[in-house]
Amino acid sequence: MKTYDVIVIGAGNGGLAAAANCAKAGLSTLLLERHNIPGGSASSFVRGRFEFEPSLHELAGIGDEKEVGTIEEVFNRIDAKVDWCRHDSTFRLVVPAKEGDKDAFVNDDGVLVTVDARMPVGFEAFSKKLDELVPGSYESCRKAFDLSISMFKAFECLDDPKKIPGSLKDVPDIMRMVSHTMKEALDALGMPKKAQDIFNTYWCYMGSPASQFDFLYYLCVLHSYVRSGTGIPRLRSHEMSLAIDQKIRDFGGEIWYNSEVTKIIMKNGKPAGVVVNGEKEVYGKQFICNSYPHKVFTELLDRKDVPDIQLKMLNSRKVACALTTVYLGMNKTKEELGITDYSVFIAPDSDSDKQYEAAQNYFSGYCIINCLNEIIPDCTPEGTSQLFLTTMTFGDVMKDIRPQDYKKFKTKVAENMIETCEKALNISIKPYIEEIEIALPPTFARYLNTPQGTPYGYMLQKWDSMLPRTIQYIKDQPFDNFRFCGASQERGDGYGCAYYTGEKAAGLVIKALKEGK
Amino acid sequence: MADNFKKLKGSKFIKMLPDRQARFNAAKAEIPEIPDNATALAKALHPKKQYLKVADIKIMSEDTRSFTLVADEEKGTKALAYFGAGKYLTIFETIEGMPVTRAYSISSSPKHSLEGKYVLTIKLVEGGLMSRYIFDNWEVGTCVEASAPAGNFEHQPLRDAKKVICLAGGSGITPFVSMANAIADGDEDFEMTLLYGSRNYDNILFREELNEVAAKCSKIKVVHVLSDENAEIPDGCEKGFITAELIKKYAPENEEYSVFICGPQQMYAFVDKELTKLNLEKKYIRHEMFGEFHNPQSQDDYPAGIPETVRITVTIQDNTYIIKGKSSDSVMQIIEQNGLAVPARCRSGECGFCHSHLISGKVYVPKHLEYRRLADYKFGCIHPCCSFPLTDLEINVPPAK
Repeated sequence: MKTYDVIVIGAGNGGLAAAANCAKAGLSTLLLERHNIPGGSASSFVRGRFEFEPSLHELAGIGDEKEVGTIEEVFNRIDAKVDWCRHDSTFRLVVPAKEGDKDAFVNDDGVLVTVDARMPVGFEAFSKKLDELVPGSYESCRKAFDLSISMFKAFECLDDPKKIPGSLKDVPDIMRMVSHTMKEALDALGMPKKAQDIFNTYWCYMGSPASQFDFLYYLCVLHSYVRSGTGIPRLRSHEMSLAIDQKIRDFGGEIWYNSEVTKIIMKNGKPAGVVVNGEKEVYGKQFICNSYPHKVFTELLDRKDVPDIQLKMLNSRKVACALTTVYLGMNKTKEELGITDYSVFIAPDSDSDKQYEAAQNYFSGYCIINCLNEIIPDCTPEGTSQLFLTTMTFGDVMKDIRPQDYKKFKTKVAENMIETCEKALNISIKPYIEEIEIALPPTFARYLNTPQGTPYGYMLQKWDSMLPRTIQYIKDQPFDNFRFCGASQERGDGYGCAYYTGEKAAGLVIKALKEGK
Repeated sequence: MADNFKKLKGSKFIKMLPDRQARFNAAKAEIPEIPDNATALAKALHPKKQYLKVADIKIMSEDTRSFTLVADEEKGTKALAYFGAGKYLTIFETIEGMPVTRAYSISSSPKHSLEGKYVLTIKLVEGGLMSRYIFDNWEVGTCVEASAPAGNFEHQPLRDAKKVICLAGGSGITPFVSMANAIADGDEDFEMTLLYGSRNYDNILFREELNEVAAKCSKIKVVHVLSDENAEIPDGCEKGFITAELIKKYAPENEEYSVFICGPQQMYAFVDKELTKLNLEKKYIRHEMFGEFHNPQSQDDYPAGIPETVRITVTIQDNTYIIKGKSSDSVMQIIEQNGLAVPARCRSGECGFCHSHLISGKVYVPKHLEYRRLADYKFGCIHPCCSFPLTDLEINVPPAK
């Protein structure tokens, strides 16, 4: 029977990047996916005359005429073709005023708010805008970005230990950043609280509260968005996933869809093969796993084959929060609806930790509204537009919801989110809905097969943040021929992070096979 | 404010790795018992397969029967998946060595699924492979394999009007029977006016049941539209077809209403034409799926000079088969006729479950069954259930699981 050089479990972003790079290196590669299409979160779905983007808000790694972005590079390395659409702004944060708010004012939309921040691209422009909104914040904001610029230079060394002179002790600022939370660092930089709240808006892209991740990690994220703007694929994320799928085949790799790994076959204390759909055995020398450690250690392996430390790791970590998304096909254009921004973060409270607490319940008033037509005007038929509304929720909020209550519950959640947006932007959405789909944590659990439906992996916490995870990556893997990739790994969620982990795992597999393992 | 960043101590980092390792070491080496409510609910609503047994057969008319299906606990289905009224089940059968699937709307109410039963009401189709098989073979006790409830033909209160004119033809009544009962049970909240087209009064499916549910629930009104009735038209019935005028007669005035349509393919063609006269917004018109499409040659845009038979090279996982079929059959039908199973659910192009890679060759897809994603065109992906071969093909198809 044929033994593949490498078997990749799961065709999410990490698995796709891993399989493409292994196949490109000439390894006999088999990519197994339980779903009928690739991509995991990076996909799309059709309802009526609309094709919806299920997960992607924006990609920071899409470059411009001057330079190639990091995500573009992932595609360029394997010569995969995607038509990118660029977007030159970051976010708008709107905090509707509550009764008694002293600093409330009426914004251009005629809404009483305490914050309305439309933040531009570019470190200098961003810092100036922040200063305009919160006088006295320019210096601290500019200094934060200066730190991130020098940090990024040093950061490139992390992937290549040989480049680190001695140890990280030589980079004192980085050590300060890793050792402190955003709040601690921004306080030390002297950034006013209100400016910090605006600065922290992207917390939700990480799935952990701002008090939990270190300054370095958040700064990396914000830096990459502010630096040169963002982009998205013209034909929804499905285009990105199919582009990689195509290259895997071109390089001679195999992809089996509707082919779920139901068991890992062990020989001599390490994986030797997998069982597909409960019936077909396939063997491999090396394994890259895009599925979560939770699934592997609780469902795919017998207890006796699971190293104790892996269960200890699962038991010390927390599954990150999940999402609720409402997809709306509108029978009006964005102009007719009065939508002026691609991405508006609407928050009941400007403090990001309070926003995170709100995610514990379903009717928090926290909602991000995106309008795809802002970036791709013709992404829907003439006279229409598409919106998607997102909020953070925990999968375990579902515990009291019975199957027979679910439809009504979903509708109530969606209605609440729509009303939050209508009020905060002073627009009307409800009468113009032609298509609607509502995805709650069970929807994500069904399509992503992640614990509690999280797309975010394990919660990044002070003690288990990106840097220690990166340094310990090899040590944290369960077997010397089995490596994880994807959101469950060192960089947490995000397309770029997942591609990165997939490429990295592929590199390790290629090296191991070269060394004759 | 002063910049105190340089005063922050970086030394905490030194302890990070040993601290992290100590946390891991202190934890239990046991399978974690976190309650995964999201996954549990997803599995309850969308089981991979449902193993069912026929518990009762009711003759509805000379060519229509209702089959009551219950969970087959011995095979591992403990409870039936709950569903929203309007959804269908895909039934899996093997007929003379050939895997066959068909989607049938559930005619029983969602509440009945909690009590352990689904009802499928099936009409014997002339020349129909599956319906003939079911009529000949299903008896009380027969084991049946089904999908989870699926489909998008449901009332959505944020999208659809509160008042809905439902247009049904023949056995297309089934999802509406489920919806009517769901309204009466309080599981759905809309006002239904059902215009149900049948040939004659004696021919009406579910006549008594519909009358009963309309009598007990003020939100439901049933109007029978009889095309071939020679006797006197009974009270509350209409003679003729479901025309724009008839819809207007029963539609609310000066108020938004939705129109839901389910029936045979000829009915869609007729009713859609009538509906254009009413100038309704697109959002207020919803069709149940088209059902399996035949005779692509009948379409205006079907190209000329297509060979009668084609050869298809099918790769499923690591097996490759060379098969032959008629160009008038869908790629899915040809594959099934050759004894190979493909993932199939809706068979109408819509659900995308059969998504496959066309490596070489050309197919024809009727315009009204085009539900592919934009990137599918760019990278040569098709839905075999509504793709008809124009040339020899080479295709990668996922296994049915």
